[in-house]
Amino acid sequence: MAGRGKLIAVIGDEDTVTGFLLGGIGELNKNRHPNFLVVEKDTTINEIEDTFRQFLNRDDIGIILINQYIAEMVRHALDAHQRSIPAVLEIPSKEHPYDAAKDSILRRARGVFTAEDLR
Amino acid sequence: MCVEPMAVRDLRAELDSLLLQLLRDLEELEAKRVALNARVEGWLSLSKARYAMGAKSVGPLQYASHMEPQVGVCTSEAQDGLQKFWMVRAGTQTPEEVGPCKAVLCRHKGLTRTPEPDPSAPPQDPLNWFGILVPHSLRQARASFWEGLQLAADMASLQIRIDWGRSQLQGLQEKLKQWSLALPDLPPQKQGSEHSCSLTWLHYLRPSSFTDCPPPQLFLPP
Repeated sequence: MAGRGKLIAVIGDEDTVTGFLLGGIGELNKNRHPNFLVVEKDTTINEIEDTFRQFLNRDDIGIILINQYIAEMVRHALDAHQRSIPAVLEIPSKEHPYDAAKDSILRRARGVFTAEDLR
Repeated sequence: MCVEPMAVRDLRAELDSLLLQLLRDLEELEAKRVALNARVEGWLSLSKARYAMGAKSVGPLQYASHMEPQVGVCTSEAQDGLQKFWMVRAGTQTPEEVGPCKAVLCRHKGLTRTPEPDPSAPPQDPLNWFGILVPHSLRQARASFWEGLQLAADMASLQIRIDWGRSQLQGLQEKLKQWSLALPDLPPQKQGSEHSCSLTWLHYLRPSSFTDCPPPQLFLPP
């Protein structure tokens, strides 16, 4: 069954956002909000969290890409997101490699296995 | 609550099957992650382009004031009911997909009818934001990030499967624990028992508890 086309949003540092916009995911016109946020040194955590929540509430966004070091700043918002769409994908950045121990999805999956269960 | 041994056996088999599928999905996700993490050449190519064109020549200052997405992601429901993502380029969608995609865009723009597609206005290539003649490194960067988008769509689909598998496993684990509470006389599983299996979580039923029950066996998916 064919589905509707959705956008890919990105929240990341300058290089990450520029790279993915080069890939062609960007959308921006006078009437709509952009589907990307460049996080700079003076970008506040509230701003990141507000943008993330806006992306979650939009029904035309299918995937949200977010640098993992930025995801750490708004980890509570990521952990609270339980819906399958939009899918939130933590990606590495140029200066911060990916750490599987911090990924929300993998931490939830790890919670399935406890020491008592495997005895 | 009356619990039949066959029902418990079937539940354990289902648990094992779900767990194996979850582990397979996790392994596949890990492989995709490694591939994505290896795509550092995209950032390196951007840095090379910045070095060739100037420090401020490749960045948000060059973003267009009007952008139209060239790629997107479509969702579909697989046979197991889970959502799956795949990448689509603008202008390469099938006629059946163009209708629903346009309807979504039009609803958000406040239009009441689906507009006719304009074949004479292709979406602007983002490379043109940075000039007419751009260095080869910028094109390489674009190709690298495009491949990263493909991986991202696959990883998003896998994450949905893993989340679903996790919730199913927890539900079945809870059900099995409730059934074990209904049978309080069970002995604890012995360490190193030939019937122990890392794929099961609860104690095996003692054969003497049910006269018609065969000896415990390892349940492995076919």
